[in-house]
Amino acid sequence: MPPTLKHPNYPNSPITLFKTKHQASWKSKLSSLAALAALIVIPALLQSTPQAYLIRSAGLVGLYVLLALGLNFTLGYAGLFDLGYIAFYAIGAYTAAKLAILGWSFPVVVAASIAAALIVRLWVGVAILRLRGDYLAIVTMGFGEITRLVLNNWDSFTNGPKGLPRVGETIMPIRIFGFSLISNLHYYYLILIFIVAAVIISKRLENSRLGRAWVAIREDEMAAQLTGIPVANLKLAAFMISAVFAAVAGSLFAYWERFVTPESFVFWESILIVAMIVTGGMGSVHGVILGAILLGGAPQILQIALGGSEWINYRYFFFGLVLVLTVLFRPQGLFPEKRRHATLKING
Amino acid sequence: MPPENRQPTLRVTGLTQIFGGLHAVENVSMNVAEQEIVSLIGPNGAGKTTFFNVLTGVYRGSSGSIVFNGQEIRGLKPHQIVKHGMARTFQNIRLFANMSALENVMVGRHCRARGGFGPALLRSRSFLEQEAAIADTAWQYLEKTGLSSKANEIAKNLPYGDQRRLEIARALATEPKLLILDEPSAGMNPAESASLMELILKLRSQGITILLIEHHMRLVMKISDRIVVLAYGAKIAEGSPDEVQNNPKVIEAYLGKRKI
Ligand SMILES: Nc1ncnc2c1ncn2[C@@H]1O[C@H](COP(=O)(O)OP(=O)(O)OP(=O)(O)O)[C@@H](O)[C@H]1O
Ligand SMILES: [Mg+2]
Repeated sequence: MPPTLKHPNYPNSPITLFKTKHQASWKSKLSSLAALAALIVIPALLQSTPQAYLIRSAGLVGLYVLLALGLNFTLGYAGLFDLGYIAFYAIGAYTAAKLAILGWSFPVVVAASIAAALIVRLWVGVAILRLRGDYLAIVTMGFGEITRLVLNNWDSFTNGPKGLPRVGETIMPIRIFGFSLISNLHYYYLILIFIVAAVIISKRLENSRLGRAWVAIREDEMAAQLTGIPVANLKLAAFMISAVFAAVAGSLFAYWERFVTPESFVFWESILIVAMIVTGGMGSVHGVILGAILLGGAPQILQIALGGSEWINYRYFFFGLVLVLTVLFRPQGLFPEKRRHATLKING
Repeated sequence: MPPENRQPTLRVTGLTQIFGGLHAVENVSMNVAEQEIVSLIGPNGAGKTTFFNVLTGVYRGSSGSIVFNGQEIRGLKPHQIVKHGMARTFQNIRLFANMSALENVMVGRHCRARGGFGPALLRSRSFLEQEAAIADTAWQYLEKTGLSSKANEIAKNLPYGDQRRLEIARALATEPKLLILDEPSAGMNPAESASLMELILKLRSQGITILLIEHHMRLVMKISDRIVVLAYGAKIAEGSPDEVQNNPKVIEAYLGKRKI
């Protein structure tokens, strides 16, 4: 049983602080560990079966989970409609590709692609975060498209539609302690590690002064401001942290594919990530993960559930159906954020 | 001490707010002394809420000065003004609808706490202690406003009167010296507004200065030390409840000029 913290000034206050939020119960810890164990063991077992292709699919879904957890900071917590999020995935991926071609080591490459995404995000954020609602959505959408067009046309730097690396260059695989990551299974595990970190970061920030301020801004920006929240700074903070997640996912993508082209960063992808958050539940870590698995894994889910690969052609129909059903029957998302009972338990 | 000898908490001079051609607040001057209860009254559209909005930094004001605690605050951002010790509630309730009552009040503690990404990610001991302090202090404010039994309720599910109280609790959590209430008794039944009045008097006795807009005249006359009357953006009268009640200009503003 973890110790309960008491406020020094109110030792007799009836609050047993944050037992449920700050110190997850052993039951929920156990079930998370069990799920994690399954996620570790099952792919290892699949590897030498005809279903091994699923490992790659799961890894790709994992990248969507990382992206969705990142966008959850801006869209989910702070309620900022960012329709150009995929641009930062692209910036992360291209920076990583460029530097990996030069032979820089993995940690340095990831740090550099985070830095690149942050610099651009700061520059964009300062310019546009004053905009509200629909305006913000339109401008971020524009930024996403501009980024894609730049990647497509800046031949000398990005090699245009042909992508990176150029003929004769290669992205060297990640080497960790002399071990090269080459198979899908390796990347699956690497992505899983980053997802675990992303979940911990999300949960910790959610249950902090920052997380509460973000949700307050989402709920009523004006009231938040007049309750003492420096809204502009906090929006920028949410905007920045979400770019970190996108850049990390982009780097992993570049190393794994060993190839990046502008085609991977189209507007549709931004929409898809927004849909994952809305479907799963804005601001709910569990919900967002579920949304990412459901929509990101849709082609595989359809194929397994219905048999035959021709169902892939119906995936847009599937997205539409999921979205319409969510909006009709569970507008708060499949797994809405839980704020009741969580903050405090009253003794006696 | 009689109010006029006390240190003025708020000194507004020649405050004007123009929207396009509309002078919503026109050259209004007024003081609020420490621990005073001052009411702002006036017909619909008189500019009362706009006056509050300029005080709290929602609008910048077109001219004039607002000295609060000896410091000019006109032009500051709303969150900076809150930090200086001015907090408010809203005419149309503006709670964080999907957060629990306790969390609403915890948000009010933001400006009195510190720390960003680092401590939250590391879960340092000082971070956890501060979180404990925030939750505990927030709970004290719920208790003060009679809402502690509803700490875990989602704000939007609370009955109307409780929502108004919760707004007050959230404002109190920022530790204001001056509390600004925009029609706090709107929509309350007589029992609720009686207990609201008690709460306001209690807060004053604990050292908080109060400026409120109210349409509920019985409440205004009972609790105000002083009343300021606005009409068409301008101050038309000021004085004790008795003085204001019998002022012909005020009667005219409310009832219209009698036709001769
Ligand atoms: N942002 C704005 N832009 C333009 N006009 C405004 C704005 N805010 C308020 N007004 C106008 O200013 C005038 C004063 O409005 P205000 O809300 O301050 O009145 P009030 O005294 O609070 O009235 P009530 O008793 O109905 O709440 C009104 O004519 C209103 O339409
Ligand atoms: Mg008003």
